Amino acid sequence: MEKNPAIVDLHQVDTIYEGEKIPVIHDINLTVKKNDFLSIIGPNGAGKTTLLETINGILSYTAGKGKVFGKQIKKHKNSIRKHTGYVIQNFEIEPRAPFLCKDVVMSGRSGKIGLLRFPTKKDWDIVWKSMGLVGMIDYANRAVGKLSGGEFQKILLARALAQEPDLLLLDEPFSNLDFSARNQIEILLNRVHDQYKTTIVMVSHDLTFLPTRCNRLIVMDKGSIVMDDTKDNVLQSDLVHSLFPKGGKQ
Amino acid sequence: MTTLPLFFLLPSILGAVLAGFVCSTMGTFVVRMNLSSIGYCMSHAAFAGAAFGILISIDPMISAVLFAFATALVLGPLSEKARLESNVVIGFLFSVMIALGFIFLSLKPGEAATGRALSILWGSLFSVNYDNVLLLSLLSFALLVFVIVFYKELVAVMFHRKLAESAGINTKMFYFAVLFFTGFAVALSLKLVGGLLVFALIVNPTSTAYQFFYDFKKIMIISPVIGILSCLLGFYLSLIADFPIGAAIVIVSATGFAVSLIVSPKRKKGFFLKSKQKLDSSYK
Ligand SMILES: Nc1ncnc2c1ncn2[C@@H]1O[C@H](COP(=O)(O)OP(=O)(O)O)[C@@H](O)[C@H]1O
Ligand SMILES: [Mg+2]
Repeated sequence: MEKNPAIVDLHQVDTIYEGEKIPVIHDINLTVKKNDFLSIIGPNGAGKTTLLETINGILSYTAGKGKVFGKQIKKHKNSIRKHTGYVIQNFEIEPRAPFLCKDVVMSGRSGKIGLLRFPTKKDWDIVWKSMGLVGMIDYANRAVGKLSGGEFQKILLARALAQEPDLLLLDEPFSNLDFSARNQIEILLNRVHDQYKTTIVMVSHDLTFLPTRCNRLIVMDKGSIVMDDTKDNVLQSDLVHSLFPKGGKQ
Repeated sequence: MTTLPLFFLLPSILGAVLAGFVCSTMGTFVVRMNLSSIGYCMSHAAFAGAAFGILISIDPMISAVLFAFATALVLGPLSEKARLESNVVIGFLFSVMIALGFIFLSLKPGEAATGRALSILWGSLFSVNYDNVLLLSLLSFALLVFVIVFYKELVAVMFHRKLAESAGINTKMFYFAVLFFTGFAVALSLKLVGGLLVFALIVNPTSTAYQFFYDFKKIMIISPVIGILSCLLGFYLSLIADFPIGAAIVIVSATGFAVSLIVSPKRKKGFFLKSKQKLDSSYK
């Protein structure tokens, strides 16, 4: 393993879903360095979620080479995941789900704490801190099913933060949120990126809402990366205007 | 009936308490993970297995465990993929197991209508002996250790399997642990409750507990309490009214669930609207 490896390093990666024949994403080359903050944009079905789940090994790539933290994804899935937070897309919790917010947030740490170990006071302190960061500390003993969409999204984010991740993968974290909740989460992501030097890879299909500290955009279309440049360059390109004819508003 | 000396009933009473404990503890996982149809199939496989044991004259409990495990091994990986085939295979295996059970019983001359054969179908008050009690105690102990030691992983997996996986938990291991514990619980409770009804003891107490609590820890504690109470009450009902024990336990636990649906604080607003939402719709 080299010194200072890239956080994510994908080389000619294809991912095929089980039972399918055609790769959903193909020939993906992507390097993410420490403390990068990038957004993957592209139309629905472009393969953005598939790419995120290839990075944390939920889906296995079928061709090419993939490393995270300098380690091969396929061989070191669990150790990579312990340092990688993930917020999945469009997760709607059923109203009667039997979990308290604090337990959901703690569940993000459970892999990191490791088998045969009980959460210590330090682990709980980190849980309280994460809930404080997203402004949900008063909800610790509330049932997750009773939260609004925005509150639940914050709990999911706190859950990922409780992991103290080096890499944060966020799949459309702003969907289902109203304007003020979006603003709060944006401020929060900027702060996490700044204070903890967390590397953030975010998926978005709304060009009108990109956090200020996000300075790199990856454009995906039909399973390929078609552009990878600074935010300004991408937003001014003709390609983006053709992919997002309505200006990216949902 | 009530003049029976206590020592004569003691193994059955202990058996009822332990069966209530193991079945309804597993229920908390089975219900949340949407494994009801697999579990249902496993309980019928256990019945077929017990019938096979009677046919070849080995302890029916051993063959019941083996059949239940074989079912888990076939259905576990299939359902994990959440593909269409799994439902088809579950329906297929379910009927095959019942049919096999009856064939095994009929193949043993003079066995089909005996108490022993009938007891694996709908349970029996007096078929529980101290060997059963010992096995059920061991299983209860193992289950208790499993739940305490892996509590944080279990909560993570129950909340959302993919998120648990993405946080570095080997969720497959827990998925199969739940299936195998369920297989044991079903097979060892078979003599008391019977193969046709044992699965109700897994689902009913948990479903009742789910009506009242939003905290997984409370459900984990209350569900076995309800399960044990159902078994003891069913036991009493069976004793005084001469009902088959399995049926009595199921009627008691189902009544508990029905009452809980009516009084549940979770359903205060519009019972009929909300009851259509499946409890575990977001579990993937
Ligand atoms: N489990 C699956 N099995 C087969 N194909 C899938 C699966 N999930 C997604 N796909 C397909 O992969 C493509 C990309 O999906 P996805 O990565 O979710 O896109 P995006 O997140 O950019 O909207 C879509 O065409 C979708 O139909
Ligand atoms: Mg997506």
